[in-house]
Amino acid sequence: MLTLDLLINGLIIGVFYALMAIGLSLIFGILKVVNFAHGEFYMVGAYAYTLSALALGISPWVSLPFALLVGLLLGLVVERLLMRPLYSGYTSWGVMRDEYAVIVTFALSIFLINIVDKVVGPYAYKGPALIGISRITIGPLAISGHRLIAAMVAVTVIIVVAFIIRYSFWGRQIQAVSQNRLGASLAGIDTAKASAIVFSLAGGLAAVSGALLANIFNPTPDVGVFPAIKSYVIVVLGGMGSVPGSIIASLILGVFESFGGVYISYQYRDTFGLFILILFLLFRPQGLFGEKAREV
Amino acid sequence: MKTGGHPSNRRLRIEFLVSLAILLAVAVLPAIVKNAYWQGVIVVSMYFAMLAIAWNILAGYTGQFSLAPATFGMIGAYSTGLLAYYYNTGFAIGISAAIIVSGLIGLVLGRIVLRLRGPYLALTTLSFAEIMRLVISNSIDFTRGDLGLNVPGIFQDRLPYYYMMVLVLLIVQVGLFYLLRSRAGLYLRAIRDDEIAAASRGVRIVYWKTFAFTLSAAICGLAGALYGHFAQFVSPELGLLQQTGVVISMVVIGGLGTMVGPLIGALLVYVASEFLRDVGNYQLVVFALLVIIFARFFRAGLWGILLALFGIRAPRPVAVAPAAE
Repeated sequence: MLTLDLLINGLIIGVFYALMAIGLSLIFGILKVVNFAHGEFYMVGAYAYTLSALALGISPWVSLPFALLVGLLLGLVVERLLMRPLYSGYTSWGVMRDEYAVIVTFALSIFLINIVDKVVGPYAYKGPALIGISRITIGPLAISGHRLIAAMVAVTVIIVVAFIIRYSFWGRQIQAVSQNRLGASLAGIDTAKASAIVFSLAGGLAAVSGALLANIFNPTPDVGVFPAIKSYVIVVLGGMGSVPGSIIASLILGVFESFGGVYISYQYRDTFGLFILILFLLFRPQGLFGEKAREV
Repeated sequence: MKTGGHPSNRRLRIEFLVSLAILLAVAVLPAIVKNAYWQGVIVVSMYFAMLAIAWNILAGYTGQFSLAPATFGMIGAYSTGLLAYYYNTGFAIGISAAIIVSGLIGLVLGRIVLRLRGPYLALTTLSFAEIMRLVISNSIDFTRGDLGLNVPGIFQDRLPYYYMMVLVLLIVQVGLFYLLRSRAGLYLRAIRDDEIAAASRGVRIVYWKTFAFTLSAAICGLAGALYGHFAQFVSPELGLLQQTGVVISMVVIGGLGTMVGPLIGALLVYVASEFLRDVGNYQLVVFALLVIIFARFFRAGLWGILLALFGIRAPRPVAVAPAAE
């Protein structure tokens, strides 16, 4: 049952990718910038979960919301300190606007990786499992208990977030601002608040993703680099700014990597996604599901 | 066309003369700094200065924000390293090959990413950078992977390397000065400031953007090859994204889009980082913080601050109408 095994494993990894990618996609939607420090939100979440559980001896089920809280706060602070100039009076930015965002988030990523390296140390910590059962057998499949529970938590979080964005008052404000910032502000929407919510939410989601995976990919200062690169691939694949697109693209990428690692090349499995990213940006920049950019 | 009187060219001349003075100062430095270790530190800082100058041609003068300068350095270093390893070629052939190989890869990549801007360009070049690094570190049979390659040196002593780097930097700066004050330099800056407007005035966008990408990649390749022969060792770590981060830090701290910025940025940042290394490896934390502060509050960089102290208006990034959303 290798095929089914690969499929299930790919889908599970895809769910965690989706947690990361949704936030990145929302940020792109609302600010039209790529957050190059996204992987470090993931890393901080992984550490918050692992260290709080190990040092304080609290249940992982308490550490998980704690990691979420840390991520939410980090996102909020980063938005307030570094992202605000992107839209407050940015007419004077001109051509420098995109470059500013790349520089600042890239530098933030290096800063967070190295400060954590100094404070916590470069060694890996093993994140505690959410459940003590090491193996659950469903029919012909055997799957690690933690992986299954973590994936179920992730799916729940994704569903809740999707509902919030689609139906809640804040969510509708976010949608409005990503469609047209000026129009939304004319309609009385506080665009600064919407951006703050999005950044905070993105930070929280990435942190939860890091926390849930801390048992599988043990946190080190640079643990976020690869998940971040995956999520860049996903937002390009799914169409930048589209939440459903990034969810579907995450699952596709997870399954694709899972099969590609076995049938194409295990050595080069991390390069598949990057090739997909380049090809998509060149030939279908709107992604699988996104709409073409509309310029006035 | 005689453009000597144009204000931007006057500024360029000041920058050029100051950068010559800096190189002169670096050239006489070994008279004071006799310690081989610190001479080595300055050699490495000159490697970064070349990468920074090359990246600045692309990001500062043409508006193409690449995330691959360190990657092209790695490609250059491996070009000469692999040639020496398999065919025992001399450094002259190796370094020429490094320039050609990285220039050609830059040409192809530049051609491919022609239409991409801002975050899209950053993502594509980032993917390219990671693919190259992963390919080199996973092709263990060919490149020895993460073990790295030993590269033969050129000289016995430190000092000849030192002057070789000064000389190459000088050639690059002089070449860049003549390029920027020519029509080509105006074309590049026109493309940076407003691509559509430049195209409408007859600037060959495809040609000049690809040209800038190729030139930048070739200089990076040259820098990488020289570094490889100096360190006598190359590894995929040369192409780490953090290395690109260091290059970007240097240019942003020094002053983006100026001739002096990358030079003072690289020399100061790298030498300062050696001092920070002594107090406990805090260099990357400090740089990243500095970059954020400079990008947030002092976008003209150190060079801009210096000009402001002398009452000269800082070179400002030209403001255009914001893109419609």
